[in-house]
Amino acid sequence: MSWTRLLACAALLLCASLAHAHKPSDSYLTLQIDDAAVNGHWDIALRDLDVVLDLDRNRDSRIDWGEVRTRIGEIDAYALAHLRLSIDAGPCSLAATDPLIDRHSDGAYVVLTLSGHCTGRIDVLTVDYSLLFDVDAQHRGLLKLETKGASAADTQVVTAVFAADGRRQAFAAGGTSAWHQLKSFIGDGIGHIAGGFDHILFLIALLLPAVLGRSGRSWFAVPGISVALWNVAKTVTAFTLAHSITLSLATLHFVQLPARLTESMIALSVLVTAIDNLVPILPSKRWVVAFVFGLMHGFGFASVLVDLNLPRSALALSLFGFNVGVEMGQLVLVALLVPLAYLAREKRLYQLVALKGGSVVIALLALGWLIERSLNLKLMPF
Amino acid sequence: MKIAGSIHALVAALAFVCTNAAWAAAYLPASDTDVLEQLPLQSGSHADRMTRALQTLLARDPNNLDVALRLAQVYVERARSESDPRQLGHAQATLAPWWDEEAPAVPVVLLRATIRQSSHQFDAARADLQQIIAREPANAQALLTLATVQQVTGDLASARTSCAHVAAAAAVAIGAICTAAVDGVSGNAAAAFDTIDALLARPGALVGALHVQTWAMTLQAELAERLGRPLDAERWYHASLAIDPSDAYTIAAYADFLLDSGRPADVVALIALDTPVDVLLLRRAQADRALGSADAARSARDLADRFAALRERGDRVHLREEARFTLAIQGVPDAALELALQNWNVQKEPLDARIALECALAARRPHAVDDVVRWVDQTHLQGVRLAQLMREVRAP
Repeated sequence: MSWTRLLACAALLLCASLAHAHKPSDSYLTLQIDDAAVNGHWDIALRDLDVVLDLDRNRDSRIDWGEVRTRIGEIDAYALAHLRLSIDAGPCSLAATDPLIDRHSDGAYVVLTLSGHCTGRIDVLTVDYSLLFDVDAQHRGLLKLETKGASAADTQVVTAVFAADGRRQAFAAGGTSAWHQLKSFIGDGIGHIAGGFDHILFLIALLLPAVLGRSGRSWFAVPGISVALWNVAKTVTAFTLAHSITLSLATLHFVQLPARLTESMIALSVLVTAIDNLVPILPSKRWVVAFVFGLMHGFGFASVLVDLNLPRSALALSLFGFNVGVEMGQLVLVALLVPLAYLAREKRLYQLVALKGGSVVIALLALGWLIERSLNLKLMPF
Repeated sequence: MKIAGSIHALVAALAFVCTNAAWAAAYLPASDTDVLEQLPLQSGSHADRMTRALQTLLARDPNNLDVALRLAQVYVERARSESDPRQLGHAQATLAPWWDEEAPAVPVVLLRATIRQSSHQFDAARADLQQIIAREPANAQALLTLATVQQVTGDLASARTSCAHVAAAAAVAIGAICTAAVDGVSGNAAAAFDTIDALLARPGALVGALHVQTWAMTLQAELAERLGRPLDAERWYHASLAIDPSDAYTIAAYADFLLDSGRPADVVALIALDTPVDVLLLRRAQADRALGSADAARSARDLADRFAALRERGDRVHLREEARFTLAIQGVPDAALELALQNWNVQKEPLDARIALECALAARRPHAVDDVVRWVDQTHLQGVRLAQLMREVRAP
């Protein structure tokens, strides 16, 4: 350990917690996708180009316009060798023209005007960025990618950062990958159904009697699986249709109801359906019940979507995705519940314990929710 | 629906204007002799020749560890002397063939730790340093760097132990300054002041080591400030800057002292408006604002640009400065408090405590800084201004 090294280190420590001045190295890449064309501009710091191309030929520690203008061919070639655009069908051509100069917060940048063409319409653009990483491991490429829509308002913008350990990224034209967005909305829908006990219990209360027929106050087992499945299909379809309608209306702001009202109505719908399993009080056609109460539940689903504060352009996609997610959650429930109920339908135990007992429990829970939600209290653990 | 639509359109329009502002300013220079950029290094200077010579050697033999280490060392030293983080990226790239190895040669780990620490990756830096000490228990440089990381992140007990090991390993004087720095933030500022006083008064104790002298002098000035002895503080800041007038840390600390003493005009004389160093520009902007100067708008706008550029690249190194900027220049206490609290999760130096308390008071959310208050109580951190802030935060 030499003294001088130790001392240099001690000096370095003085700055340990001092934030860095100047700025680490960044380039600013802006691309616009328009069908098969990619155009844009790329701002690269002259200081950074000097490191790799030694721009300051006259060694006066300054870079003047002559030193940039006369070397622009090399600058273009160097930059373009470190940026590759491609679509699934193959690589896209890219050319740089009309250099300009711009100032950013940390100095002067050369602005390269980019124009590129892909072999077909750009659905997914893959960007391979490798500028300067070999000489500056903390360099970043900051991309702003715009996709032109039918009107200016439909233009979508995504931003991304390229780093030495993240040089390649793919973008769906039209903003953040539509498939990603759709997946995330489907996930939200499934999550909402899985975490929404009121919706699950409503479905259970609706479906428990689907394997049975009713005469007055007593129930009997349906003769075959086809009858049971037809009952389930009608009920689930009616519920789905109804909540899709209100979900759409509410998300598009055509109808808006206060959350306290819709949440109370949902609790009431669970309560009434459960009681109906014990004492007939509702129309005997279950799908009608599912439809009417489904309208209530749609408003409940919508409150989740509204909270997500969606961009207008993604609204249709999000509505669709969220709904698909809700249906998928619902179908899982049906797939778990209906076969068991069908197999057990003739047992007295099923009618007594599962249908009657289950309905009593559901009714009590729903009553708790109803009181809690209508009076704005906090009683229930979930 | 209608209002939402209009807001949407407005936001889109604003975004368009903002993102296109830079583009609109792009221009074609009128003449070949137009100077566009000033390079940081004087051509032909010692550092410039050194950098070029080592670059040439390394280009011939990219896997030569000795050359790579020397070049990386030059970059790291330049990062300090020029306050330029680009040099850290160059140093890291120079070490690329060894960077991702678990346990490369000790000098590589040491540089890696220094670079990581400078990027506020304190956990990774600490692991590197502990690895070195496990391999070479008497590596004084690693121990000293570790002490600093521990102090910055608030692990004062460990920092004190590391300082003791520095003294034992090689350098008694450096170990003493190291310990005094820790004592100075844990209720023993008076004793630390006496230690440094004795060191600086003893001829020959720090001779030939200018960096260590300025380190001790700046520390002494900060200790004096904390003890409420402004005349001593001023004297030691001057002494330190007389030896190294361009040291950004000392200039920043002195500027803070001047701002606290109600002397913004002296800050304007100390820091140029076009300083490339963010921390210094922040002090300058505060001084301009206090003076109601015509430069205030420019320095505030430049700083806003710099913070925006850093945020865009995902940098979280400047939270303390950004909190202070957001509070003192932009006057948005709630946002400033959020930044100060995020910063407090990472760093726990006196300035970090102070900005958190100031933001909480301005935002009227004293309980948001309960952790900070507890920390100051536990460590017995001293300071005239800090004590006043603590009283205000505690006041019902």
